[in-house]
Amino acid sequence: MDKVKSPEESRKLLDKITFDLTRSIVKRDEFTNFWYFLLIIFALVGLWGWGIQIRDGLGVTGMRDYVSWGMYIANFVFFVAVSLIGFLISSALHLLKIKWSKVISRVAEQVAIAAVALAGIIIVTDMGRPDRFLNVFLHGRFASPIIWDVTVVTTYLTISVLLYYLPLIPDLALLRDKGTDDIPQWKRNIYRILALGWKGHAEQYKLIAHAMRILMILIIPVGLSIHTVTSWLFAATLRSGWDTTIFGPYFVAGAFVAGVAAVIIVMFLYRTRYGLKDYFEDYHFNMMGKLFVLVCLVYLYFNINEFLVPGYKMKTAESIHLSNLFTGKYSTMFWATQFFGLLLPITLMVNKYFRKPVPITIISVFVLIASWFKRYIIVIPTLEHPFLPVQNVPENFQHYAPTSIEIMITVFSFMAALLIITVLAKMFPVITIWEYAEEKGISREIISEPKK
Amino acid sequence: MKKQIILTLVIALMSVFQGLAQEWLVPDDQKTLTNPSEYNLSNVKKGKDLYMKNCKSCHGDPGKHNGLPLVPAPPDVVSEKMQNNTDGELHYKITKGRGGMPQFEITISDDDRWRLINFIRNFDPSREQLLVDAPPKKAKLLASVNEVEKKVEIFAEVEDANGSFVTLTDAAVKISAKKAFGNLPIGEVLTNADGRAEYKIPETLIGDENGMVNIVVQLDEAYITDNVVLDAAKVGQLKPQPKLIKKEILWSTNENIQTWLLLSYLGAVGAAWAAIAYVVFQIFKIWRLGKE
Repeated sequence: MDKVKSPEESRKLLDKITFDLTRSIVKRDEFTNFWYFLLIIFALVGLWGWGIQIRDGLGVTGMRDYVSWGMYIANFVFFVAVSLIGFLISSALHLLKIKWSKVISRVAEQVAIAAVALAGIIIVTDMGRPDRFLNVFLHGRFASPIIWDVTVVTTYLTISVLLYYLPLIPDLALLRDKGTDDIPQWKRNIYRILALGWKGHAEQYKLIAHAMRILMILIIPVGLSIHTVTSWLFAATLRSGWDTTIFGPYFVAGAFVAGVAAVIIVMFLYRTRYGLKDYFEDYHFNMMGKLFVLVCLVYLYFNINEFLVPGYKMKTAESIHLSNLFTGKYSTMFWATQFFGLLLPITLMVNKYFRKPVPITIISVFVLIASWFKRYIIVIPTLEHPFLPVQNVPENFQHYAPTSIEIMITVFSFMAALLIITVLAKMFPVITIWEYAEEKGISREIISEPKK
Repeated sequence: MKKQIILTLVIALMSVFQGLAQEWLVPDDQKTLTNPSEYNLSNVKKGKDLYMKNCKSCHGDPGKHNGLPLVPAPPDVVSEKMQNNTDGELHYKITKGRGGMPQFEITISDDDRWRLINFIRNFDPSREQLLVDAPPKKAKLLASVNEVEKKVEIFAEVEDANGSFVTLTDAAVKISAKKAFGNLPIGEVLTNADGRAEYKIPETLIGDENGMVNIVVQLDEAYITDNVVLDAAKVGQLKPQPKLIKKEILWSTNENIQTWLLLSYLGAVGAAWAAIAYVVFQIFKIWRLGKE
């Protein structure tokens, strides 16, 4: 905390912080409209594709008897993975009292909410009869990892929303009280309702801190289970490539890689678009870069275990799968994901230069794309090689290739996730104002005093 | 070494040409035996059944010359090579066998072996052919199930030369039960002079979970008719339904779920949601403080 400032200085500083951090809410130009237009058009095209799929059934996808999990499930795993960053940054690092992560925690929660919400929707798109969705709850088997997954995804979404909302309450009150007239009236009405009559009492701060602490502790087991259980959907089978005991931590480690990449990209976009150079500083990118290298190294370690050990033994069924990845049909994709998703980022980011905002963002884009293909490689090649011989079946049962409808719906999921993030950024400050102001040495009384 | 190879070759050639090179000599007393079995339709028919079971796999369909390509070749029933044998010679060859031709001394009774010869003689050009493969005739088949007496009641008609249908007498009606992988034959019955027949379904027939059986009634290939399928006749025994999962296992259904798993799941979910509810209650408290 900086030295204590005089009330006058504090007020001036707070006004500046508030002005900077509400720029995302106020700013609306041609680009904003175009961006919304783009997202909505693509989302609508995807929904149209979904309409076709509901009308004609899952036959419009490339999925058949053997490959019954295709791009949708790969995409689902990807979104679950990305959502895990909320747990890492806004809970784990907070509880470890790591200061630099505080500024980033709201970005992380935005990404987490968007990703986990879409993960839930993607599962519904993978259903042939989405109207029977409730049967999952009515007739679900408690012993099935699928039920555990449904439970844990909903729980994680709820906790993420609460974890996003709780620190937002004082900010909403601040915007209600001090917000400039640039903010549209309807947004200020929403702030007034959501601020719950916040007055900045010590008691109220205490309640927030208390509730936050409970959530941060609660999200650790829930966050770990969300991706562990997702990995069990695969690991609880006997299929080669999935039948491995390290799938839980392997998925969790991979999730952090994807999530850190996503958060860095969103941070960079906010920084350039909303002029937040002084908030998302080079320092934060540097620290995120170090975290990035750490999680990449952990993931690399799991990757070596996951492929070297079975590759050493080359059991009959396993060897078909592995040679398919190493030298066969999927080798280009496999080595590209390993290279662009792990080896190259680690090699580059151990250098200070590559942890600067622009290079690290470019690296993150590569890593994020590689993470998506990595999930594709986990799901599809295994299904193409079942234990039973594939014979006397139509040609299109034996190989999987996504159809345009599947690609449309997958693009929809990306656009919808970006739309959620955009709406959150346009509605609420992307950094917790009151926490940031407190860091800068502004007292709580000044933060919660009403507008002159 | 060279000697050995030559020796092996010679032995092999000898055994191959044994059949070709040597006449199949039948002792004179056997040659002149006469067929004690009467040459009539019933015996020829029985002989045909025996032929289908025991001989056809090598000798092929009569007159089609589609026997197996063995050395020596198994001759067709209609061929001169077959028909030039006397009854006694045929009887001796069937009984004793030689080389590729098995001996049937033990597997087919003497009477039946003579009936088989009657069937072979059916294709002897010097005799009247008793069993003629007539073109299939159009027939009508009606059947119903009497669930109380567990009987299938059948009525059959056949098209006569004038194109009108008359009762079909003495025709074999096959009754089978339709199963997942084909029809299970359960019996055969002959129609009486009225073209009717009754078949008592055996007590041992097993149906589905409710004892339902799909019964198929059909005539043989000599008639063109649709099979009668009697769906869901309650004539069988209840299919025993063993409990597939006998004890609690980790991946089981809700009925067999392991208690610790259920409790862990419910406990974890309950604890998480209780904590969430508590947090929501804190938010409610913040709201209440704001109102003061």
